[in-house]
Amino acid sequence: MKRPGVPPSDMTRSRVTPSPATRSTHLALVLLVVAVAMIAVLELVLGLDGATEPWHPVLFQLVAAVYLGAGVLAWWWRPSNRLGLIMVVGCGALLLGALGFTTVPVLIAVSTVGATMILAVMVHLLHAFPSGRLRGRLSRWTVLGGYAVSLVLQAPQYLFAPAPPPYHLLGVADRPALVTTGLFVQAAAGAVVMVVTTVLLVRRLRAADPPRRRVLAPLYSYGVVAVLFIPVSANVIRPLLDVPPETIGTAQLAVIGGVPLAFCLGLLRGGFARTGEVEELGAWLGGTGTARTTLVEALSRTLGDPTLQLVFWVPDTREYVDASGQPVDLPSVDGDRDVVTVDLDGRRVGAIVYDATLLGDPEPVRAAGRVIALAVDRERLTAQLRAGEQALRLSRERLVEAGDLERRRIAQNLHDGVQAELVVLGLDAQRIAADPAATPATVQAATALRAGIDVTAGELRRFVYGVMPAPLLERGLAAAAEDLVDHLPLRTRLEVSVDGQHLSSAVESTAYFVLAEGLTNAVRHAQARELAVRLAASDGTLLVEVGDDGVGGAHLNSGLGLRSLADRVDVLGGRLRLDSPAGGGTRLTAELPCAS
Amino acid sequence: MRVVIGEDEALLRQGLQLVLEHAGHEVVAAAEDAPSVVALTEEHRPDLVVTDIRMPPGFTDEGLVAALTISREHADTAIVVLSQHVQRRYVTELLAERPAGIGYLLKQRIADIDTFSADLERVRAGGTVLDPEVVALLVARARRDDTGGQHLTPRQEEVLALMAQGRSNSWIARHLTLTEKAVVQHTSHIYSALGLPPRDDDHRRVLAVLHHLTR
Repeated sequence: MKRPGVPPSDMTRSRVTPSPATRSTHLALVLLVVAVAMIAVLELVLGLDGATEPWHPVLFQLVAAVYLGAGVLAWWWRPSNRLGLIMVVGCGALLLGALGFTTVPVLIAVSTVGATMILAVMVHLLHAFPSGRLRGRLSRWTVLGGYAVSLVLQAPQYLFAPAPPPYHLLGVADRPALVTTGLFVQAAAGAVVMVVTTVLLVRRLRAADPPRRRVLAPLYSYGVVAVLFIPVSANVIRPLLDVPPETIGTAQLAVIGGVPLAFCLGLLRGGFARTGEVEELGAWLGGTGTARTTLVEALSRTLGDPTLQLVFWVPDTREYVDASGQPVDLPSVDGDRDVVTVDLDGRRVGAIVYDATLLGDPEPVRAAGRVIALAVDRERLTAQLRAGEQALRLSRERLVEAGDLERRRIAQNLHDGVQAELVVLGLDAQRIAADPAATPATVQAATALRAGIDVTAGELRRFVYGVMPAPLLERGLAAAAEDLVDHLPLRTRLEVSVDGQHLSSAVESTAYFVLAEGLTNAVRHAQARELAVRLAASDGTLLVEVGDDGVGGAHLNSGLGLRSLADRVDVLGGRLRLDSPAGGGTRLTAELPCAS
Repeated sequence: MRVVIGEDEALLRQGLQLVLEHAGHEVVAAAEDAPSVVALTEEHRPDLVVTDIRMPPGFTDEGLVAALTISREHADTAIVVLSQHVQRRYVTELLAERPAGIGYLLKQRIADIDTFSADLERVRAGGTVLDPEVVALLVARARRDDTGGQHLTPRQEEVLALMAQGRSNSWIARHLTLTEKAVVQHTSHIYSALGLPPRDDDHRRVLAVLHHLTR
């Protein structure tokens, strides 16, 4: 599955002029590029002056330019994302290192201080992708540790290294032993930083969903290998394989230069889309027409999070619902998704659920929430109405189901209890009548009693049949329809094509009662000669039809029976129709949704 | 005869057992659910099985399904099915499986001990006994859907119903206080009206009539 990327040309982007804040950000970025370029050119001039290998400082500046370019691009695209800033800092670190190519003693001294800072920046990038923010205390401490290793533990290199004047500016003593020890401590601490970083990144990979993992895995791998390559190539590969220092240096620069490119590619490929501006939301709110996207789509484009959800607050039930009125559980606080509530005039109207790994800073989300609060409130009312509608439908459904259940219970109880007892009473009466010691009067009375019990049993049987017919309970709708038709005094055509279909008991009993009511009415009022019954299930709909060739002129509102049937059918999401022109026969049709 | 009973209501089970024992039969086993009816029949090989239709486990038509199984697997075991309500569909199913030694009665018929006992004996002898209620339903339906114009007099319909219940000519004559000769005249008119060949054998004539009524 591919994450839906957001095409930048869509929506209102082309029609919205950038806000003053955005314009000044863009201006600042342009000025930054100009300033850094000037510094780079200056460095290059100074470096080329005394360089034995002129292409070396040039390469260094090129890599720095890559960092600057990638950083400014990221910054431009996502002003609220700090990833761009970190890349620009990386450019600074490289420019600092490039000072070493000059022949000016002060500049060379400064370059020794920041020589390994680019490694710390790379670690920082790894931890901060894609939101640009550091998530979690361990992540923050590790990145801080990285900077400490590269800047503080670098100190022995310039404090105690032997250097001839005029390059001894920072040196306090010539202690080669301390330099070696310092180097070892720095390498060990750096290793710890990398181990913790790797563990953290692996943990994040595990938690990510598959599409995002496909982007993050190669990125993380390359980043970790790149950071490790620098010290390993300088301290292990070079002495071991006796590679010329220039070759190592070039390889290191190539690897370092690949890092911002990889991160930029990751931002582009991973659905980490461009963020829009809150102003675009304003334009969306003012827009009209059918082509207008939904509020949540507009919001997710603006914030650059395709997984963003908008939920609405229902004060009565104190819960959040989605646009269709279904209750929604908000994610827990410490997960990868975060929540920002949307308030209007101090009361809660909804919440925005977003990907915290993507949008590190909740402030733009809050700002967007403030802009759309009124629209959220309006959509909230719709959602609330839908929720209420749904609750009403469910409660009506429960009422019908409870009624059916009650009917079934009564029928079953009468069947098991009273009907069985009547048979036993009849048996007792018969036994008294058959007693050889009984007087003729007793025999006569007992026989009459048994006959009376027989009649009562017959009446009870018909009553139970009306409550919930035995064929429906025993064999289902088709058998019940057949039995119903068997008992009719009029000739009736029966057409059934529902055998083998599973129908819920609510649908079965509703269909049966439609049949029973329709047939009863036809027999009583239609003056018909012939009736027709049709039961057919297809495409998830059960069709129940009762027709006659009688006088017509019937109305759905003419009796309580049909009206309550219409209610029943409506509850199940079906339709009841009565077609009864005067003199043209009557046709009662019910369409009931049934899972097929 | 040796009888297996299938009835989940304890009161009715006892009542049935008393009636059968009073009539001189031996109740070899009494089942409380449909699977046990089949199992106990398998075990005891009774002459007759009397079973309720609606029984555990599902309280739908398990008893009828058990009766159909028994009629298929034990050709010499007679079966009487009891129910609170009679349906044409069950008649068709029972007779289609095995058109002999089958009875289908309303539960309340048990109380008329003499008639009930006689019905059981006839079923045991390979006859067919249907409840008057279901026969009345069949006759009414046949009359309603009748398009051939073979009209029967009310008296002839009475005779037809008793024929369908499995009664003999002499029984019908006694019941309707007619001479046996008059009954024979009625039956031959019924045969020609329904287009059925005349039957001497009681059982075969029941089947012919039922075949006509349930089509």
